[in-house]
Amino acid sequence: MNRRTFLMSAAAGTLTACSSRNARRLNVMNWGDYISPNTISNFEREFQVRVRYATYENNEELFGKIMSGNSGWDVVFPTHNRIDPLRDMNLIAPLDHARLTNVQNLFARFKNPVWDRNLDWSIPYMWTTSGIGYNRVKYSPAPTSWRDLWRPETKGKMTMLDDIDDVFGAALAKLGLDYNSANADDLRKAQRELIAQKPLVRAYISTEARDQMVAGDVLICETFATTAQLAIDGNPDLAYVLPKEPYAAYCDCAVILNESKRRELAHEFLNFILRPDVSAEIAQTIRTATPNEKAFVLLPKSTQESQTLYPDAATLARAEWPLTLPPAIVRLRDRLWTEAKAA
Amino acid sequence: MKQRALGFYAVLVYAFLHVPLLVLAVFSFNSSKFTVWKGFSLDWYKAAFHDAGLVEAAVNSLIIATVASLLATIAGTLCAYGLWKRSAPILSNSLYLSLVTPEIVTGISLLALFQWMFRFLKIQLGMHTVILAHIAFTLAYVVIVVMARLRTFDPALEEAAMDLGATEWQAFRQVTLPSILPGVLAAGLLAFTVSIDDYVITSLVAGVDSETLPMVIFQMARRGVSPVVNAISTLIVIALGGLILLSERIQR
Amino acid sequence: MKRLRAIFLAPARTINFVLFLAPMAIVLAYSLLSRGVYGGVERPWTFESYTRLIDPLYGGILLRSFWISVLSTGVCLVLGFPMALFIARSGARRNLYLNLVMLPFWTSFLVRTYAWMFLLRDTGLINTVLQSLGIIHEPLPLLYNDGAVILGLVYGYLPFMILPLYTTLERLDKSLLEASADLGATPFVTLTRIIIPLSAPGIRAGSILVFITCLGAYLTPDLLGGSKTVMIGNVIQNQFTSARDWPFGAAASLALMALVMVMLLVVLRRDKEQML
Repeated sequence: MNRRTFLMSAAAGTLTACSSRNARRLNVMNWGDYISPNTISNFEREFQVRVRYATYENNEELFGKIMSGNSGWDVVFPTHNRIDPLRDMNLIAPLDHARLTNVQNLFARFKNPVWDRNLDWSIPYMWTTSGIGYNRVKYSPAPTSWRDLWRPETKGKMTMLDDIDDVFGAALAKLGLDYNSANADDLRKAQRELIAQKPLVRAYISTEARDQMVAGDVLICETFATTAQLAIDGNPDLAYVLPKEPYAAYCDCAVILNESKRRELAHEFLNFILRPDVSAEIAQTIRTATPNEKAFVLLPKSTQESQTLYPDAATLARAEWPLTLPPAIVRLRDRLWTEAKAA
Repeated sequence: MKQRALGFYAVLVYAFLHVPLLVLAVFSFNSSKFTVWKGFSLDWYKAAFHDAGLVEAAVNSLIIATVASLLATIAGTLCAYGLWKRSAPILSNSLYLSLVTPEIVTGISLLALFQWMFRFLKIQLGMHTVILAHIAFTLAYVVIVVMARLRTFDPALEEAAMDLGATEWQAFRQVTLPSILPGVLAAGLLAFTVSIDDYVITSLVAGVDSETLPMVIFQMARRGVSPVVNAISTLIVIALGGLILLSERIQR
Repeated sequence: MKRLRAIFLAPARTINFVLFLAPMAIVLAYSLLSRGVYGGVERPWTFESYTRLIDPLYGGILLRSFWISVLSTGVCLVLGFPMALFIARSGARRNLYLNLVMLPFWTSFLVRTYAWMFLLRDTGLINTVLQSLGIIHEPLPLLYNDGAVILGLVYGYLPFMILPLYTTLERLDKSLLEASADLGATPFVTLTRIIIPLSAPGIRAGSILVFITCLGAYLTPDLLGGSKTVMIGNVIQNQFTSARDWPFGAAASLALMALVMVMLLVVLRRDKEQML
């Protein structure tokens, strides 16, 4: 980088900033590292708008920001099980499908998902699963079940996700109970499993597992497919497998906020990310699975056949899409989780 | 205690404080994304410079920290002086309380206050709310540090000045203030540091257009080691370190 | 006389009233309401959040947090005191040395913590170096335990100790130390009988700042403790995020604040000097 290039880019940046103050605006908030750098700039160029793009790390942070109904954001990406609450709280606007011509690009099963039957309120953006990542070379035999995370051999080398629903889900599924159980007894049994597992657990971490798996500190872990895929990119010894019991699948969806005064432009943005080439590029960059069928066929063969990101139909049949739990159960789970951690 | 022995100890402490920075610097030149050394590369620095949002966030952070710490230092110094003359229990205790409050509670309560106020005033969250929030939570730090300094100051000096005909204000300005100035500067430094690194409170009360550097860095780094973030941090250290050395040279 | 003092206190009073007391009133209101279904608060009014606090689970977590915070404060004091003394004595170079202490803290807390994670990992720098030097054969478990959390807390809050200590030590009159030496006192006696008592305001201020901040920490136990250590800061943070129980979080915060205030008032009443 020589001085001239730097000065030129600084000047260009300032000029763009000045001129764009007069251009149209769109405010988009998404998960961190969840879009390709080109997507936003391409959209800005094609539609002559300036996009303010910010990120958040979990659904609660998103909620905290938009709950007032006066946050200034237009498009956000909640996880699928938060769409009902958002609708109940009158925070999201119904979608106008006349403007969303690219919706037909989606896979059939994502066109009427269980969380939003007619896609009245949201469009699926990217999806992933939570399963078991492991090091094929340093850890054997290959895990096949949630039980494998309770084996004594894993001591000190195993991590679990730092998420109540995912750890409870794994424990419940291990016991053969409902992954999304709202039954207090079931939850207590699951808690006992978690307390029994605690001495083996190296840490409860989510995205940090990526680096630890690549470096070899962690040999087996409960993790998301996306995290595992990113780790596999960095270390080919690693692999990801979905257990033979039920496991969780999550879909992050784009919604338009009710407070938005730029609904037309927001619809354009949603339609834009439904384009096959755009969705394919995003999926490849962030290493997660796209729900867009026309985008899927654009992906390289090796990715299409990757069982990590796109498990086959038989495996997918075991997936559970977690739905919103009643407040009393949320409170119980939190209490049991705190007890387990403090034990 | 010999200064030389202390100096040796100081080197160890500086090492403790700065070794993580060295780690960051080394990995900012790493060509691989992960913390396994693969080769030398300047890619991440290029990426950092090309990120307009990053530059804007850095500027925002500087503005906020400077304005907030300046105002907090002024208000805090005056307050510490007033409390030193005669205590005001309600104010002191409430300043203590503001220190004890967990950040998320401060953030959420300020957010609730702003939203309630803004319903009548029809404004949105923005730089102004962040600055107000920062003044609010740095105030107590300033008061405590300046107070600690004031406790070592002999009130007889002020009395002597007034006996010689100075007004209260003159006594303060010309006798007390110069003497406690290192304490005031230290307090301002602390306020600036606390402000420039704040994430929780800022992210709650920031508006759409007021992203700060900690917010951007948090977003990039929350997924794990991000070499661009390492590059940014190294740049910050080099820039500020250079500034420190420069100002030292000028003062000589 | 009184008018000037009132003017001096006015800015701080206004800031404190509008930007602290008023929000705290809101928090108090929150603590007496019920949780909204998806977060936030709603009626009915109830004391339930407070009664739920009376529970050995939270008592245990609180004790644990106190213990970790006390340890961290102690380490900060021991580490920070000689450092502050050194800086206070360095004459013209004071500001330089002080700024060099603060420099790391102008980079992001998160980033520095990740750097420590890299240093402390099983495959991290410290273990790799020790193993290649033959000092150890198996990696030491330096990360994801209470020790790592305390290290992180000390590292994060050392400036809060050094700055107040520095401001009092800088005032120390050299002639007092010379007099003490002349009278035959050993350096140790000079330290314990003269330096430390005279810097008591700084020690108190620094200790209180560090202790209080440690108590509310949540990110350090999460990152460096692997989320295996629950501190009271984690419990409170949780209530506003995944547990979506704002009233309980508000009540827990207010209870914690009240407890610490009582502690502070008791400790400070024993010394005749108040800190604020």
